[in-house]
Amino acid sequence: MSGPVVLALRFLLAVSLYAFLGLAFVSLWRDIKQQGALLASRKVPPISLTIARGEPAPQARHFVQPEVTIGRDPACECPVDDEAISARHARLSFHHNQWWLEDLDSTNGTLLNQEKLAMPTVVMSDDEFKCGETCFVISLVGDISMPPTKRI
Amino acid sequence: MKRFLAPASPVQTQSRLLRLAGVFLFLYSLILTLAPAARARSWAVDYRWSHWLGFVVWVVIFTLAQFLSRRRLPDADPYILPIAALLAGWGTLTIYRLVPGFGLRQTAWLLVCGLVFLLGLRLSPELRFLRRYKYLWLTSGLLLTALTLFFGTNPTGDGLRLWLGCCGVYLQPSEPLKFLFIVYLAAYLADRLPQSLRPLPLLAPTAVVIGIALSLLFVQRDLGTASIFIFLYTIILFVASGKKRILPISLVGLAFAGVAGYFLFDVVRLRVDAWVNPWLDPSGRSFQIVQSLMAVANGGTSGRGPGLGSPGLVPVAISDFVFTAIAEETGLVGTLGLLALIGFFAARGIRTAMRAPDNFRRILAAGLTAYLGAQSILIIGGNIRLLPLTGVTLPFVSYGGSSLLTSFLALLILFLISSQPEEEPAPLPKPQPYLILAGLIGLGLFALAATNAWWTVWRGPDLLERTDNARRSIADRYVKRGSLLDRHETPINLTEGEPGDYLRTYLYPALAPLTGYTNPIYGQSGLEASLDFYLRGLQGNPASSIWWDHLVYGQPPPGLNVRLSLDLELQRQADELLGDHTGAIVLINAASGEILAMASHPTFDPNQLDTQASTLLQDPGSPLLDRAAQGQYPPGDALQPFFQAAGYNLWPSQSIAEAWYTALGFYVTPELSLPVAAASTPGSALRLSPLQIALAAATLSSDGVRPAPRLVMAVDTPTQGWVILPALSESVTVFASASAADTAQALMISGQPFWQWNAQVTQANQTFSWSLGGTLPDWQGAPLAVVILLEENDPNRAGVIGQTLLKAATHP
Repeated sequence: MSGPVVLALRFLLAVSLYAFLGLAFVSLWRDIKQQGALLASRKVPPISLTIARGEPAPQARHFVQPEVTIGRDPACECPVDDEAISARHARLSFHHNQWWLEDLDSTNGTLLNQEKLAMPTVVMSDDEFKCGETCFVISLVGDISMPPTKRI
Repeated sequence: MKRFLAPASPVQTQSRLLRLAGVFLFLYSLILTLAPAARARSWAVDYRWSHWLGFVVWVVIFTLAQFLSRRRLPDADPYILPIAALLAGWGTLTIYRLVPGFGLRQTAWLLVCGLVFLLGLRLSPELRFLRRYKYLWLTSGLLLTALTLFFGTNPTGDGLRLWLGCCGVYLQPSEPLKFLFIVYLAAYLADRLPQSLRPLPLLAPTAVVIGIALSLLFVQRDLGTASIFIFLYTIILFVASGKKRILPISLVGLAFAGVAGYFLFDVVRLRVDAWVNPWLDPSGRSFQIVQSLMAVANGGTSGRGPGLGSPGLVPVAISDFVFTAIAEETGLVGTLGLLALIGFFAARGIRTAMRAPDNFRRILAAGLTAYLGAQSILIIGGNIRLLPLTGVTLPFVSYGGSSLLTSFLALLILFLISSQPEEEPAPLPKPQPYLILAGLIGLGLFALAATNAWWTVWRGPDLLERTDNARRSIADRYVKRGSLLDRHETPINLTEGEPGDYLRTYLYPALAPLTGYTNPIYGQSGLEASLDFYLRGLQGNPASSIWWDHLVYGQPPPGLNVRLSLDLELQRQADELLGDHTGAIVLINAASGEILAMASHPTFDPNQLDTQASTLLQDPGSPLLDRAAQGQYPPGDALQPFFQAAGYNLWPSQSIAEAWYTALGFYVTPELSLPVAAASTPGSALRLSPLQIALAAATLSSDGVRPAPRLVMAVDTPTQGWVILPALSESVTVFASASAADTAQALMISGQPFWQWNAQVTQANQTFSWSLGGTLPDWQGAPLAVVILLEENDPNRAGVIGQTLLKAATHP
């Protein structure tokens, strides 16, 4: 009788080993799902660009996506009809809890507050930047001081 | 259950995993306690208790660790601590199972390591002191290792002198040196890398360091540690710089070290040779690896169960071969789980590295993960012959204080790095090296799993049948072996005693050259070897009972009795007649081919084998040889009656003679479940065993028909009773019935119902005497044939023995 009793215990032993591994994998899976949900629910503070170019009257464009590319290419999020602008000229992107502006190696360069943009730079409300002949004024709607990003 | 699976914070996850690890170790301990009962198939045994101390210490340490880590580092990685705890507990209990004394020492070390870990939790996770004093750490590590050159010892007495210490406490400095080396490299590269990416100023100091480390190791001839250092150096440099060309350069370096080691050091050459072809010398140089593979094979898929295998048969099972012990007792199920645990740990380590808040901690975490992963792969690969054997330990699991301490220090640092409150990971410009490191470790573990499965599932059955598998002899002590019986079911060899203490007893020792012996040291011979499958119960029992007994007890079912054709009464007379003369007797039933008596002198007593084996092996009279079936003698004139029956009065030409030899079966090895001398081939000098001549002589007494020999008659199966085993070959008609009868009549002994022909042959200064005989064709009883061979010049004596034996057989 001792053999079958020990056999049953051996079976439980294997079950407990794989339960450990299973729980570890389930927790990991939960963690990944939770991360995904956290990232999906994270709101991007909307950004508005006001094109200040005399004719036609200044118009404001609103964006809710985390990346806004500016250029002559109609596929850009913010297409601009300006001969002096490159096809993909500059990009605004939201990460590290800030909006950043970077030049996409454009022909005529990008000026932020009258200064040449050499590296990705954090932008704030009322900042002005110029691509080609077009001037943009940034306005950040809403409060961007969100709670700090939770670590994964 | 539902609560157990609910989403949880890291602290809760860690607590649940630790509790499951505790359940696993509790079950392991419980099985270990009950194992003696399962092995003896009874409850009245001495149970094992000592290992519960290890379990209690484990529970105390990791309850405290959980409590303190929850308070101090609630954000730390929740997986690595439970995995390390499970591995360390599994290792400690396995060591208890192997050598209880060492289990106690390992428990003490576990206590020390647990305290170091608990105190270490108070350290600041920034680890500034490690970075600042990098040269101090490296120098002290090197100094300690250098000391082994002068004061090195080996706790086991001989072998590599890699330890420092006295009074029963030993330290292997190369273990902590690995840890200190990683700390130094990480600190150095984190300081230098941002400023200069040029290779030369970066490489020079590190190359010098590795040179020192390697020369120390090469002096100590420890190739395993040397290759780990080269690997760690490569990986850390690669991870820090992101340059792929480092990998092939290091591969060349590793190959160079291997080749140099092979040609310079015997230890290395021996291990590489044993790796390339272990089957050449399985009892010598590759003893360890062959025994290890047999242990893995014995584990099979489900394992023999904790405490129920025989992993102690593998030398150094507690440290280098601890994986083998785990594989034997928990099987493929356990080892795949173990490999998954190591893989999970490595994945979390690499994740910790990638998310580290600065470069120093990032390189440090990657280096420590690479160390734990590489060392595990290297030693497990060595255990299952995927890689050459290197004497490194399995982190967390193997016996050894230095190894356990180093593993726990690595765990502590990873645990601290993984908990950075409110810190963003540093930017990671080149994530690829981390992915490559993860891929390498994953690939290595996968290769280990595949190799392990290959040895257990594919090669396992072959390995277990090897005669150097001592598990068979161990099973013999616990499972009753079948008896060998004569034709009247009188026992010849039988097994006596209590389970756990069975002993083979040979009631008729004079038959030893024929029936042979089964001995844990000297193996098996004769019928004990050729009928082993029946006697051991592996054939003839229902497949389900063989499967069940193997699963539950790791043993075969009780053995089956085998009935032979021998008649012990006739055998006793044959042995008495032969006496002190060197020679052989074969008495057979000429019609059925049943062997009634088969004597070979001198003989030996297998009951005394343990004390006499070496004398027997060197005895010039070769008593172990079964002269009746294995002896090969020149027949000379003994063949005369056969030519007479064939119609030749004179000796025929060679080609005609060979045609008759073929007909008489002289060129065919007799098929018998017994080791038999291979037959001569046409064209060479004819050599015949007495058995072959007896089968030929039977033609004259049985109407010219040569019978198929039979020795094993029946086997007693549990389901069908006695099952008759048929002869292994067919009988053949050689002579016309009339010419056989005429020849027998011509050779008749007056006044007796027998024919007889005596002859003598001199060959190379030695004279042999033959006597052939048999009943006459008109004999009403069972026809008999007898052959006597004496290794001396006395054909008359041979004739007298033949006649006496025939008389005894025909007039019982």
